[in-house]
Amino acid sequence: MIKTPASPARRRVVFAAGLLASLALPGIEALAAAPSGEPVLFGVSGPLTGPNAQYGAQWKAGFDLALDEINAAGGVLGRPLAYVFEDSQSDPRQAVGIAQKFVNDRRIAIELGDFSSPASMAATPIYQRAGLVQLGFTNSHPDFTKGGDFAWSPSISQADAQPLLADLAIKTAGLKRIAVLHLNTDWGRTSKDVFVKAAAERGATVVAAEGYQADEKDFRSTLVRIRDAKPDGLVLISYYADGALIAGQARTVGLQLPLVASGSVYSPKFLELGGDAVNGVVTNTTFFPEDPQPEVQTFVRQFRSKYNREPDAFNAYAYDAVQIAAAAIRTAGSTDRKAVRDAFYRIKDVPSVVFGKANFDPNTRRVIGVKSVNLIINHGKWVVWDGKKALAAAK
Amino acid sequence: MTSWTSWLDHTFNGLIIGNVYALMAVGLALIFGVSNLINFAHGSVYTVGAFIGWAAVTYLGTPLPVTIGLVLLGSALLGMAIERLGLRPLAQSVRIAPLLATIGISFLLDQVVQLLVGPDPRALPNPLPGWRIQVGTGTIGALDLLIAGIGLLSAAILYGFLRFTQLGWAVRATAQDREAALQMGVNIHAVNQTVFAIASALGGLSGLLVGMYYNNISPAMSFQATLKGVVAVVIGGVGHVPGAIVGSLLLGLTESWGVALFGTPYRNLFAFVLLIAVLVWKPEGLFGRRRSLPPEPLTGTFVAPSRPLQLPRWVWPAVIVLLGVLPWLLQPFEQGSYVLITLSNAWLYALLGLSLTLVAGTTGQISLGHAGLLTLGAYASALLALNFQLPVGLAIVLAGLLTSVLGTALVLPALRLRGHYVSIATLGLGEIVALVVLNWESVTRGPIGVSGIPPLTWAGQPLDSGPGFYWLTLGAVLVVAGLQTRLLRTHLGRAFRAVREDDVAARSYGVSPNRYKALAFAFGGFAAGIAGATSAHLFSYINHETFTSQISVLALTIVILGGMGHVAGAVLGAVLLVGLPELFRVAVEYRVLIYGVTLLLLVRFRPQGLLGTV
Repeated sequence: MIKTPASPARRRVVFAAGLLASLALPGIEALAAAPSGEPVLFGVSGPLTGPNAQYGAQWKAGFDLALDEINAAGGVLGRPLAYVFEDSQSDPRQAVGIAQKFVNDRRIAIELGDFSSPASMAATPIYQRAGLVQLGFTNSHPDFTKGGDFAWSPSISQADAQPLLADLAIKTAGLKRIAVLHLNTDWGRTSKDVFVKAAAERGATVVAAEGYQADEKDFRSTLVRIRDAKPDGLVLISYYADGALIAGQARTVGLQLPLVASGSVYSPKFLELGGDAVNGVVTNTTFFPEDPQPEVQTFVRQFRSKYNREPDAFNAYAYDAVQIAAAAIRTAGSTDRKAVRDAFYRIKDVPSVVFGKANFDPNTRRVIGVKSVNLIINHGKWVVWDGKKALAAAK
Repeated sequence: MTSWTSWLDHTFNGLIIGNVYALMAVGLALIFGVSNLINFAHGSVYTVGAFIGWAAVTYLGTPLPVTIGLVLLGSALLGMAIERLGLRPLAQSVRIAPLLATIGISFLLDQVVQLLVGPDPRALPNPLPGWRIQVGTGTIGALDLLIAGIGLLSAAILYGFLRFTQLGWAVRATAQDREAALQMGVNIHAVNQTVFAIASALGGLSGLLVGMYYNNISPAMSFQATLKGVVAVVIGGVGHVPGAIVGSLLLGLTESWGVALFGTPYRNLFAFVLLIAVLVWKPEGLFGRRRSLPPEPLTGTFVAPSRPLQLPRWVWPAVIVLLGVLPWLLQPFEQGSYVLITLSNAWLYALLGLSLTLVAGTTGQISLGHAGLLTLGAYASALLALNFQLPVGLAIVLAGLLTSVLGTALVLPALRLRGHYVSIATLGLGEIVALVVLNWESVTRGPIGVSGIPPLTWAGQPLDSGPGFYWLTLGAVLVVAGLQTRLLRTHLGRAFRAVREDDVAARSYGVSPNRYKALAFAFGGFAAGIAGATSAHLFSYINHETFTSQISVLALTIVILGGMGHVAGAVLGAVLLVGLPELFRVAVEYRVLIYGVTLLLLVRFRPQGLLGTV
């Protein structure tokens, strides 16, 4: 087993993990010339402290893995790729300051983040004016890329993803009267609106839709309200922590209905936090470790060996974002910021864990299409679901 | 349409969640009763307790009774340490000092937990047997009963302890009159330490049980827990332990019925409306006895008595000139514009600080809801500019006026409150503003937020960062600071201070406190409204989470750091508290830790602020 050294610069501002990794990895990667010279930097604005710190930590795991791989294969433009992570706490005020800092730092070729829409979109005008690409890889807010032609997002477009969830819920799982529980954030709300429309087109009725706040933990009353609408199934537009709470409490209010959840719950944490209650939950995810596609297999194998745990969706998003950034810099042939932006119009079929092949729509500046695998939780494990096995109610 | 059985279920669910809140509230009530202190660190003790339990189960495989024992012991020790190291040194200090210290301790503990175990939420499985009893259409399990049992048992034990033991008498004596108790030979330090040990043990235990109940613990869970606990305590009547339990159940019921009637997004709105209603109708809480006037804010007890730092007269003009030419001085530096935008942000926070230093420092109304004023200003200006195509400059000024009017109207019912109650009421009002923004979709666009907010322009050029924006925000600060300095020298300024120092005396001299408090909020609302509005045009996108309640705490820290009521102090405080975290960036995850320690040291060694109270 190739042992990858842990990121040596976790506490340092500039992460040059990849450089060391490439020196420590003889074997196949030795074929590629070791990158040398000043590292090419990307800036990351994201939460390392504060209420969203968990997502910043997941990003880092994904970034470091992607860097190991890219730098072992020769880096970009013959130089190592590295990053500067500034903690924004998802606070718009700090994100604006960080944006100015990155813009001024001529070593930075592209920026990734921020996590939340308020922080990301507050920084967009600064990146746009200075002409530095802001790759908002978790920013699904429909207006994010409207901030200008330097705002790009490989986050899954809900306009593409929610109809697939509707297909799963209505065509595969056979639901007719659906109750939707969604995070009351810009993401959850946008997703819900698309889903409701898609459900109507497929002949199902949404009998109840309840938005809850991200820090909510008690769902019993909401679930009773949902029960009274007499649905034949629940659709969760949730993240893993809240999704697991809802699944756990559904049975305590006597709600024994099939649960269909958006792909954002896909995480080993969903199983850990949900326990027995999430058995039978189905979801469609863009990322699934057993996906035979080579990009996914490489990612999963390397993630397991580096971190000794299972990757989740946010790790995959972060990993993909670095791959896309590297592809753009390679295509640009330089670290010139405008050249990097122009490269986004030209990059095609970037190997991606989430999309298979990522291609940007030059008009929306978002990735076109979405792949999806239907999964069911069976005895505490995610397995591919063909829709034939009877859909177990959350018990 | 909602049937009778559903109402029963909703009632039942309300009681269950109330039960969960009660565990938290009992400890808070105890500390509040004895030390007259909202212990903002209580939520962090709750988090630490949960993680002690998690560590015991995960690494030692302890059975539940042993886990509970370890959690009780660990949390009690933590509580004693908080009292001994964090609060006792402040015993002779001003009332505001311990409050601020608990906020600093809370930052510190949360961050330490996060550094030790990582920020991910973790599962904390419930080891109790899985049987469930059918009640209505819902069920309750062994853990629900255990939580209720422990809540009631701890209340009963506390009641007995306070009523029938000598130490309990001492605790109650200290709660009633600290000095008198001291004269009677009560060792009040021992009493305080006992109270913190008991309350923290309970807090830690509630963290463990609630963590098991949800099978989910994370370092970020402490703030919500403190918030709900404080609301429950105030409803029940501060310092009243059985009252805290009833208050918690009522809070749970209100939330549950609110969800039943109006839907999930309104849940917390009901919690805070209930809080304000109780405060307005019966400020001492449902069970609190109407005590004789609380010993605050009598002369100099709430705000640190001190003489403001005297600086030579030429300092201020020199500083202003230096700040004015700074953009040119910074030009040669690569990161010059980063310094400028950081300072521009500091100027926006200085406006917020000026607002709060007038309300809290000069007039003595410690507001913990100033983020709500920013939100009002930001939405007002953004919507005026987008929906009515008003020029941005005009929209900002109008937003300032609107915030002034709306903010004052909101706070009117709370004006008759005093001391800590003002803080709690404004905390609730701040949350209410955010929740109304979230739910009033036809106007505010709900969770989607407002995007595409146009930037400020000057002669056709957008002023969205850089020197132009810097000068504009600096100018706004100078104008407001100048006006405020003038104001403080007038009759009005003296009346404000009279209200702060002694509201009874002020009244007997014919100064109507409520009218002056309202005036202070009106003036402060304008400055904060302008700050929020300008931020909105800088950010181009806002939603209900742009200005979180953390910002209210930051605003108060700015004011206390600078010196309560001190105009230049508020500006200095803003520069330091916006600037220092940027300097600490090299420390990455340790940044918040350093911030917490700085706050604690400041409270310990200079409670009157850097420039002193005015």
